[in-house]
Amino acid sequence: MSVLHVVFKVDGAEYVLPAADVLQMESFTGATPVPGAAPHVAGLVQVRGRVIPVVDARLRFGLPPLERTLDSRVVVAQLGSRVVGLVVDSAREVLKLDPQQLKPPPPLVVEGARGFVKAVAQVGPRLVMLIDFPRVIGEETLDGDGQR
Amino acid sequence: MSASVDLADFLPAYLAEAEELLGMGHRQLLAMEASIRRGLPHPRAVRELFRAVHTIKGLSAMVDVEPIVDIAHWMETCLRHADRAGGRLPEASVEPLMEGLREIEQRVRQLAAGKQASPVPPGLLSRLEALDAEGAPGVSAAKAAPAALALEEAVASRLSAAEREQLTTGATDGRRAVRLDFIPGADRAANGITINSVRERVAPLGETVKVLPLSGPTVGGGALTFVLLLLTEASDAALLEAAGGPPASVRPLAVVAPRTPALAPLPESALADEEPEEARRGGGSLRVDVSRLDEALERLAALVVNRSRLTRAVAALTAAGAPTRELQAILQENARQLRDMRTAILRLRMVRVGDVLERLPLLVRGLRRSTGKSVRLELDVGDAELDKAVADRLLPALVHLVRNAVDHALESPEARRAAGKPEEGVVRVASHGRAGGLLDLTVADDGRGVDARAVAARAGVPVPPTPDALLEVLCRPGFSTRDAANATSGRGMGMDIVHRIIVDHLGGELGMETRPGAGTTFRLRVPLTITLLDALVFECAGLRYAVAVGSVEELIEVDAARLVWPAGAGGVALLERRGNSVPLMGLARLLGRGEADGRGGSVAKALLVRQRGELVAYGVDRLVGQQEIVLRPLEDPLVRVPGVVGATDLGDGRPTLVLDLAALGLARGGGAPHRRRASVREEGRLA
Repeated sequence: MSVLHVVFKVDGAEYVLPAADVLQMESFTGATPVPGAAPHVAGLVQVRGRVIPVVDARLRFGLPPLERTLDSRVVVAQLGSRVVGLVVDSAREVLKLDPQQLKPPPPLVVEGARGFVKAVAQVGPRLVMLIDFPRVIGEETLDGDGQR
Repeated sequence: MSASVDLADFLPAYLAEAEELLGMGHRQLLAMEASIRRGLPHPRAVRELFRAVHTIKGLSAMVDVEPIVDIAHWMETCLRHADRAGGRLPEASVEPLMEGLREIEQRVRQLAAGKQASPVPPGLLSRLEALDAEGAPGVSAAKAAPAALALEEAVASRLSAAEREQLTTGATDGRRAVRLDFIPGADRAANGITINSVRERVAPLGETVKVLPLSGPTVGGGALTFVLLLLTEASDAALLEAAGGPPASVRPLAVVAPRTPALAPLPESALADEEPEEARRGGGSLRVDVSRLDEALERLAALVVNRSRLTRAVAALTAAGAPTRELQAILQENARQLRDMRTAILRLRMVRVGDVLERLPLLVRGLRRSTGKSVRLELDVGDAELDKAVADRLLPALVHLVRNAVDHALESPEARRAAGKPEEGVVRVASHGRAGGLLDLTVADDGRGVDARAVAARAGVPVPPTPDALLEVLCRPGFSTRDAANATSGRGMGMDIVHRIIVDHLGGELGMETRPGAGTTFRLRVPLTITLLDALVFECAGLRYAVAVGSVEELIEVDAARLVWPAGAGGVALLERRGNSVPLMGLARLLGRGEADGRGGSVAKALLVRQRGELVAYGVDRLVGQQEIVLRPLEDPLVRVPGVVGATDLGDGRPTLVLDLAALGLARGGGAPHRRRASVREEGRLA
């Protein structure tokens, strides 16, 4: 039984998220900054009338900021009762993955990715990484990421 | 459609509507009177009053209040002449019209008090009729001595003046006025002959003026007769045939002259039977101006603020070693009481969804008449409650959706029959309960469904692949037009308005499911309460922000030349205000959006805010204005930060932060290093 995943790119690398967790994908035209929020929080966006916080994947992954482009997307995901967006460089593909294709990430990746990568999968010549969404958006606590 | 209407079901909606229309009628009549005095016509007021009176007449006919129908009818006739005369009304007509409105109003009150509406005062109708004759002598010549109909009292008393007039004048028009008595029975029903089928079969033979059920013994041992009053050119035999033959019968309605007074005169004293004001609103409910509730809520907010001061004072005592255990217990108790109080006040603002929807049955009845479609409205909203402010905003959206459903989505009875559906279409408004402070509602019809291709063609876009995408196209501003294309696209008018109300104003969600030929369901999700806030909107470092008006003591201009910059104050300046020095903080810097040293910013205005009893000025770039906003609390932990109360949409589709300046200053005013780091990262993020 293969599961549908949404593929998105951050700094050239490809990540996936189960499509069941993704509510929608919207183009990103900037967020309203929230003073005092965690550094990786880009701010607030309004998606179909709902105000949701968005996390900047680049800042979260410790990557240099990128000028927003037409390809920039907000991947809006459901996390329990919360709805949170993730700003990524681009997202325009879905992929069916067999759970058996998902392998634990190599130790080096685990370390480098600060636990954001839950598994990796080889799809033909490509390597896609399944992200740990709750961890990427910063779990429940503001200071849980140890950056403040 | 049954000929009788259960009065009790419609009465509350009828009363509310009638009251509103009467208010409007009074205003228009006064405007007309003012114009007459200046010798000017006032066609708009005449038309508005006509419309109000006409609607009152229609509504009253639905709930069977014949005296009001009669008065409204003659007022309407008089106004029609004034309209034809270009909005000119003779001055002498004002007083009788005024009297007419008063009489209607009085009868509406009688109904509200659970009484019967008293009959029409005989003098009034003749005065109104006299106006009619004056207004258009030529036209009303025929009506000056209207003939009476040979009808037994049981039937005659249930006809309105308009219907009576229709039957008498219609009969002189080459057609005959006849009554067709139909007696329903089990054997006839078995052969498919019911009052509905008879109505349908009679319809092409002439004009059905009224259908009245009469109870009482009938030929063949039944207890019910339907009297159909018709204007027709068809023969008796044809009519009898349409009614399934005997025991149905056809009789001509002889027009008898001279006219006999149809209405019994009544003693003047009956009119003085005015209800005392207090008694008018029955039951255990109370109408309270919403602003009073808001005032109560505001007082409560002041109590809450005071309590937090008390808490701090007690904490200080405790820190100083004072025995405060009992004080603390009282404080805790106090906190609980305040919470309960808040809940109680908020509950005062809650109204039943069912009450909000009270008007929909009347709306649908009206649509049934104007569209000729057969529609059943089903309301299933249980006991759900909504904040008054939400309900007021929600209703127009629901009205829009229901109107669209009847106007555009439901097919004509013929088309439905051809499609193998029941002739009667169904529009269903239902609530599926609430969860997490949200109420779910659906508005569903069993009509033709939205034709995605027609919509796409109309909007000039590719065919939307999903219901969401289709809804998005439907909700585009300007998609709504009134041309014929709508009738086939199945949906169309004003969906942008619905979207704006549900999504932008209420912060809710709007979804749609549609199946060609099977119908459309709109899903609405709205918050049970919204917080409205009178807010000052200003600009700071290129972004707009809002603060509650009540939190700002004063707005001042900042004269940069007169600011004092104390050494080592970390960029906080001092300004002079009525002999006192007030610290001025650049808000941009507090928000992490200005230069780290805070100096040289383009502060032009400042908002004076009391912070722990001390005045503090927050410098901003520009004031945008004052407006009412809908506050959306930020609940996600990622953005729950001190100083930010919530977000709002100022109409640009992006969230604007609503700030609590005092809290922001307290939370972020100290510790410069933190601020500096914050500003660096904000800049990085903005890139």
